[in-house]
Amino acid sequence: MHHHRNPIHCILPPHVLKEIVANGTETQKQTALDTINASVVLRAERSKMAEYRMEFAAATIQAITGGKERIIYDAQNGSSLPGPAVRKEGEPPVGDVAVNEAYDGSGWTYDLYNDIYGRNSIDGKGMRLDSTVHYQRNYDNAFWDGKQMVYGDGDGELFNRFTIAIDVMGHELTHGVTQYEAKLTYSQQPGALNESMSDVFGSLVKQYSLKQTAVEADWLIGQGLLAAGVNGVALRSMKAPGTAYDDPVLGKDPQPAHMKDYVNTISDNGGVHINSGIPNHAFYVVATQIGGSAWEKAGQIWYVTLRDKLTSNSNFQDCANLTYQAAADLFGANSLEQQAVLKGWSEVGIDATATGGGTTPAPGCLGSLLKLIGAA
Amino acid sequence: MEAKRIKFERTGGFAGIRLAADIKLDDLPQEQVHQILELLDDLDFDQLPEQLTDNRQVADGFTYSVTVISEKRQHTVTTSETAAPEKMSSMFEILTQIARQQARKKK
Repeated sequence: MHHHRNPIHCILPPHVLKEIVANGTETQKQTALDTINASVVLRAERSKMAEYRMEFAAATIQAITGGKERIIYDAQNGSSLPGPAVRKEGEPPVGDVAVNEAYDGSGWTYDLYNDIYGRNSIDGKGMRLDSTVHYQRNYDNAFWDGKQMVYGDGDGELFNRFTIAIDVMGHELTHGVTQYEAKLTYSQQPGALNESMSDVFGSLVKQYSLKQTAVEADWLIGQGLLAAGVNGVALRSMKAPGTAYDDPVLGKDPQPAHMKDYVNTISDNGGVHINSGIPNHAFYVVATQIGGSAWEKAGQIWYVTLRDKLTSNSNFQDCANLTYQAAADLFGANSLEQQAVLKGWSEVGIDATATGGGTTPAPGCLGSLLKLIGAA
Repeated sequence: MEAKRIKFERTGGFAGIRLAADIKLDDLPQEQVHQILELLDDLDFDQLPEQLTDNRQVADGFTYSVTVISEKRQHTVTTSETAAPEKMSSMFEILTQIARQQARKKK
């Protein structure tokens, strides 16, 4: 059998090919990928194990390029994580709607981060997206456990399955991104910012999947999650915090839209799901002020702030200042985009400034010494 | 100890909605009481520390607080859901169900 041979075939060892894939020009990358493929095909022909080898080639390319890779698991109503795998990357839909929703939702989230912000998965390095559905029985929740996403089926009377709303998947996966970037502490204002970032990018995933502009979007978090008979449209509204539900059993949506209504509480890690309404609404105002697709400019400002500027103990004022600075970095000082950021925070009672809000540096040797003797 | 009453609270979670119940065991069906007492016994609930934590960076997880009251004493355990032993998760499922029923009755 005769094969056309590229000069680099059979010469370069695998680790060099990996380097080319990672750092070469587009043409070099393609040639290297063809080489990996071709060499595997040759070996497969020799060993008569073509099918196995082709699978191996696909997996090798996947591992080297670190593309989208999802696995959905089924907890089978138990608490053990992750449970047996039921759908892997590239496999067709199965007969379980929660599995398919988790697969599609994490896919759209990967795509938004990758296509728009150039981020390769949760850790920026192609981390596999693991999701478990059917966690426990009648479980009214979805959470990020530090490594993977977990979804309950809901009790059916108050809540439907948590994969029903695509923004829930975007929300949970963004907790992973925050864990790798700003590392916002999950308590008080940093915790509410952590929650808000998840709502912001959760909503952007929904808008991106529906190709909606900021004006067309509903800005609801968890639309469809509330079971029939519950008085409400969703769990949170970024457009009008505090109006998502008002029900005899669930109570009323407690989210404030302004600093004057900030809720001081020890419950819910210091109200992380309550006071997130304030930065949520700021983002909504910024995005609608700028207009067009919210993921493009407003989303970019927030993403850069999350990735490069916020730190673990940042508060709302810090976030206002840092998004204001990020807008200047990206679009110029006094640009329309920066003015929109100013207005967004102003509407929730926070004056963004061009300085401050960055990392509070740990004191150096001299600083520590002065602090010790009470001179600083 | 022979539990008489259980105070249960679940906070946090994606929805951030508090669920709580004050449960008198005498008001529950015999079978359910038996189930709860067996789980408390298996867990050696009285000997558990007041706070259970783990090192996972959980977001949107529930926080559970359970106070078991007997004639002579009471003991409270607060835990994140990922730090709870499996039998405790089973107990939370039962207590959550009771709390939901109580909330609906109040409605």
